[in-house]
Amino acid sequence: MSSFSEALRVHGLQSVIRKVMASEQVSADKELQDYHNHFAADLQEVEKLSRLLNAMKRGEVTEELLEACPDLAEASKKNEKLKYRKKILQGSLEKQSAANSSRGINVPMTKSAIKRDNEKAVGAPDDKKPKKDAKSKEKTGGAAPKQARKYDYVVVEDYGSSILGRLSDLFRKAIKEAFPSLDVALLMAETSNPTFGDYQCNSAMPIAAKLKATGVSKRPGDVAKEIFAKIPSNTEFLEKVEVMPAGFINIFLKKDYIKKQIWSIAKKGLELPKISKRRVLVDFSSPNIAKEMHVGHLRSTIIGDSICRLLEAVGFDVLRVNHIGDWGTQFGMLIAHLYDRYPDFETKLPEISDLQAFYKESKKRFDEDEVFKKRAYECVVKLQSYEPNFVKAWETICDVSKKYNQYVYDRLDIKIEDFGESFYQDKMLNLVDSIKKTHPGVLREDEGRQIMFPTGCEVPLTVVKSDGGFTYDTSDLAALNYRINQLKVDWAIYVVDAGQSLHLETVYAAGRDFGWYDESVKRVEHVAFGLVLGEDRKKFKTRSGETVRLLDLLDEGVKRAEKSLQEKGRHEVMNKEELEAARDAVAYGCIKYADLSHTRTQDYVFSFDRMLDDRGNTAVYLLYAYARIRSIVRTSGVSEAELSDYLNKTSVLPLDHPAEMNLAKQILKLSDCVLQVLDSLMLHPLCDFVYQLATQFHDFYNECYVIDKRGDKTEIHFHRLALCDVTANTMATCFKILGIREVSKM
Amino acid sequence: MVCPCVFYIRSHLCSKKIINYPLKAKKEEKSAAPAASKSKPSAPAAGKATEKTGEAVEEFEGGAATMEELMRTRAHFHKVGENFKTDGYVTTPKTEELLKKHVQAVGGKVVTRFPPEPNGVLHIGHAKAININFGYAKAHGGMCNLRFDDTNPEKEEEKFFTAIEDIVRWLGYEPAEVTHSSDNFQQLYDWAVVLIKKGLAYVCHQKVEEMRGFEVQLSPWRDRPIEESLQLFEDMKNGKFDEGEATLRLKLTLEEGKVDPVAYRIKFVPHHRSGDQWCVYPTYDYTHCLCDSIENITHSLCTKEFQSRRSSYYWLCNALDIYCPVQWEYGRLNVNYTVVSKRKILKLIETKVVNDWDDPRLFTLTALRRRGIPSEAINRFVAKLGLTMSQMVIDPHVLDATVRDYLNTHAPRTMAVLNGLKLTIENFEELNLPSELSVPDFPSDPQTSGTHIVAFDKEIFIEKTDYRSNDNDKSFRRLTKSQPIGLKHIGLVLSFVREVTDASGNVTELVVRAKKLTAEDKPKAFVHWVARPVSAEVRLYDRLFKHKNPEDPVAVPGGFLSDINENTLTVLYNVLIDKSIGNSKVYDRFQFERIGYFCVDRDSIAGKLVFNRTVLLKEDAGKN
Repeated sequence: MSSFSEALRVHGLQSVIRKVMASEQVSADKELQDYHNHFAADLQEVEKLSRLLNAMKRGEVTEELLEACPDLAEASKKNEKLKYRKKILQGSLEKQSAANSSRGINVPMTKSAIKRDNEKAVGAPDDKKPKKDAKSKEKTGGAAPKQARKYDYVVVEDYGSSILGRLSDLFRKAIKEAFPSLDVALLMAETSNPTFGDYQCNSAMPIAAKLKATGVSKRPGDVAKEIFAKIPSNTEFLEKVEVMPAGFINIFLKKDYIKKQIWSIAKKGLELPKISKRRVLVDFSSPNIAKEMHVGHLRSTIIGDSICRLLEAVGFDVLRVNHIGDWGTQFGMLIAHLYDRYPDFETKLPEISDLQAFYKESKKRFDEDEVFKKRAYECVVKLQSYEPNFVKAWETICDVSKKYNQYVYDRLDIKIEDFGESFYQDKMLNLVDSIKKTHPGVLREDEGRQIMFPTGCEVPLTVVKSDGGFTYDTSDLAALNYRINQLKVDWAIYVVDAGQSLHLETVYAAGRDFGWYDESVKRVEHVAFGLVLGEDRKKFKTRSGETVRLLDLLDEGVKRAEKSLQEKGRHEVMNKEELEAARDAVAYGCIKYADLSHTRTQDYVFSFDRMLDDRGNTAVYLLYAYARIRSIVRTSGVSEAELSDYLNKTSVLPLDHPAEMNLAKQILKLSDCVLQVLDSLMLHPLCDFVYQLATQFHDFYNECYVIDKRGDKTEIHFHRLALCDVTANTMATCFKILGIREVSKM
Repeated sequence: MVCPCVFYIRSHLCSKKIINYPLKAKKEEKSAAPAASKSKPSAPAAGKATEKTGEAVEEFEGGAATMEELMRTRAHFHKVGENFKTDGYVTTPKTEELLKKHVQAVGGKVVTRFPPEPNGVLHIGHAKAININFGYAKAHGGMCNLRFDDTNPEKEEEKFFTAIEDIVRWLGYEPAEVTHSSDNFQQLYDWAVVLIKKGLAYVCHQKVEEMRGFEVQLSPWRDRPIEESLQLFEDMKNGKFDEGEATLRLKLTLEEGKVDPVAYRIKFVPHHRSGDQWCVYPTYDYTHCLCDSIENITHSLCTKEFQSRRSSYYWLCNALDIYCPVQWEYGRLNVNYTVVSKRKILKLIETKVVNDWDDPRLFTLTALRRRGIPSEAINRFVAKLGLTMSQMVIDPHVLDATVRDYLNTHAPRTMAVLNGLKLTIENFEELNLPSELSVPDFPSDPQTSGTHIVAFDKEIFIEKTDYRSNDNDKSFRRLTKSQPIGLKHIGLVLSFVREVTDASGNVTELVVRAKKLTAEDKPKAFVHWVARPVSAEVRLYDRLFKHKNPEDPVAVPGGFLSDINENTLTVLYNVLIDKSIGNSKVYDRFQFERIGYFCVDRDSIAGKLVFNRTVLLKEDAGKN
């Protein structure tokens, strides 16, 4: 028994020992395993850290690194987004500039171009041309029908001194050669920082983007290199061309080339680029008979005249047309009123001093007096059937009105020929007949009216009213037809406020539908402009809320100009004639310049105070600058013969001072500017040019002596004198285009 | 009075008589219906309507055996072209004409779409959407598109696109067309411009925080001029605003007091399809209905959360005078004891709780596939649940039951020993047994004639758990020192002879004697076995979370990560499988006799198969 129990106990102990040993072994195993795990984890951590460290050293942003550094991840994400946004903005910019150039707006490719541009949305619903208000009210709401793609109407025969023109030509060819399958707008820009050269070609970025879209991944820098490779190396006017890693191509002009060009201008005079000659009709000013011209007509008159001057300057054959509102039902009441007020008008031109009042009187009677109203209608019928007495009455009213208009035109140096709406009366009849014959089915019946929807237009033209009469749609169609098919013009430029855009584009579309012109050959274009605003940024009005008469405005300008000249004591140094010439040049010049120097399509604020300021971009500043340059040459005592003698002896002007070089470069930009303006018919770049020129001259004159008086020794720098002369002549050319009278003394 | 239509997607689907009942009354009826029919008066009716935790599949009266049947018999949607007959459908003077064109365009056929956002993987909830959309089209001879609603480039990744398409096909559906919302970016943008021009949309600069929350103030920019909004919208497109500085909002009031939903927002992120073209991207609210309209969708089927978006859906189509589909809602399907959101799964992967998106413990569809769940079983499961309006929260075992049903007739049987105990038959030679024998693949189904060959030898293996050295427990019916046991398929009865132990006294082997099975001398139990086996790895999975709803902040205050069961993955490295299945392919499924259903995992390599346990043969009693 006992041995059994002993055995049992031993057995029990053994099993306990076994268990203990086992558990020890387990716990040792476990401990070992734990340590092993620890070690493995630490090892992993070390490896990870060293990977991170390496990545940081190499500057690689690995995913692991981003995970380890949340701040970096945040910054990196932000950076990605910014890069993306930049890409989007660049794309938008490219599209916008393409759209701009197809609309004839040429904005230099600078940072400011990213700014929201108001070019497109110049809704001017409350400043319609008065003659068309009933119609335009419903039409100005929508956007103008999409204009077709942009054509190069300006065919340059010789770039003359145009640098950008030559450069663009060069780069366009190089890009075509390097990337023959791509159609990319060329982006050339002036550089603002001279360390990056004079000009920059920025096409590599959009090209790279386009390539990417076709599945080819190329960095802009490489694209730029490929373009660069296609640039001929021996170009006479290029000093060097360098490619920046980001894709910009910097262009440095050869200084000798510039010196030579300026010498050439000094010797032979300023030459604008040669453009293939065109016959152009410019429809501008276009006031209504029997209503005095008001400030609303000012812009069309100024801009239209300046465009004419520009086209004449490049040798175009220009027809200046005043599409006056001299026809329509309002003449019934005017004639009837004339009969009552001036019964002897047939023998004696009535002295209607206030046409506005005359118009208002008749309108009042028309609205209130049924008998008068009936008579007015009868007068219309009689006029339209050309009854001699009534035609005479009509002519009388027109003459009074035109006499007044001419007074305004004379003061502003504007030449213009009247082709009023009456001129198209019989042409409208023929037009409707011929449309019905040649394009049957185009005219649709709509509630008694005959309307047409030109291709791509949502608002129809009313060609015949329900009473059989015609509308402005009809007369504008007839005018377009006459201009293109009878006058055989190559270009027809309509300088009309932006509110008429839809109307005009619809008329043009109809003209194209009728096959009158091919827009790839003929340029028929609405040159639109914004409103004239008062200093309160509201519609420009007199204090009493009346529209401002143009004559009053001009008088006010003259008065203020005189006052301003007197404040400067100019009356003490000039004689009476000189003073008057200066006064008028300042008064009319500043009004024109203020208009032209603003982006045409935008509204501009009319402020005499601002335009008569002799600091800043104003006509006054320019006129003073011009007079000063002229006086420098005049007072140098060097005669014209002496100067031309000097020029004959040399073949280059030693323009080695940086200020001289800057001024010279600016002078050479005139040709580019003219080309740009011809293309866009926006005149503000020309104003910017001449203002820049004046400030560059100012810098030059501050730094360089033209006449160096040291003690009793006087040295005349002839090349600088020549530069002054060239500058003044360049300014004069600009003034001529802008319609500003130059005065050599002020 | 109870609505006879069990598939009450929307109340107006019930018989006409009921339509005039006030909404509230109807709701009560709905919830009362299942309770009454199940004669379980104690069950709280309200709870039933919102949460069906069905113990048995039969409980879902709304269901049908197959999707096809469900869609044909239970889905009472409008006929193609009769959109206007649906309650709540908004008609305009143009509706008639638009519907006519629409019917022409679709040729009178049903067109549906499954529109996932490609920003994550599909989960069990999506299976319902796929089945309803594809199923309804299929049952009515129509078409169903797979549309990637890819309007949020920040969250989209290429891999999700292919994975989603793959899963749709796996579920047995072929998209009529694979489309992308992004294909319509230009059209959507143009329409946005139209809306602005009509004064129905405007550019707003409110911050997100200002738009959300209670008592939201109307945007101060609501009435800005049309021209201004047009310009600003273009500016948005052109990159002039930074992210969050401007949105385009629709001018309408939604249900639940929401005002002016956002249609466009700025994101400086490239899109995987449109590249660098856009920096404004349309929202779901804006895109969804318009893409439906573009694709001429006849039935826009979606889950109930979108009920509140229905009015904006109709409003938008009508505002643009385009064809307006009908939106039908159904209850969403959720499963207990899991999480399905992309972010949470990612967290589980990051914290190494699970291994990947298709870790078989998850309820993503790729995970279920990997676990061995057949797509047919998923489809049946969805069909059985039916399509009620209320949200369903289903316990995983309901799915398991369907899976068992399916695999029972589809997974061939085989014998495998998870934890082997070697048995040596000492009288093997005397018995004169074959070295191989043929075993039917489906012993319970004599119709199925497949068989497989099983080896037999002197040494065999049985489960360690099928032997107990201690024979005190009378309820233990398998091998003990005194109790013989039968071997399946071969008709042998084994009796204990002696244990072989190792140095520390552990039983390592048994020596047994065998005799042929006779009718008189039947053992209490038959066990599975293997001879000349091949080794394999088997992974056993358990439920990942402790609580039904690991996202419930009350039950699980520590967050879902605090609710994880430990050791939910058990790996058996030396499972003994029959040679006959040694060359199985990935996704081959078997019933390991007496154990459960298993499926070959993609981790398998030649000579070393890996199996996942799909389900146990029976519901594990310990788990409930």
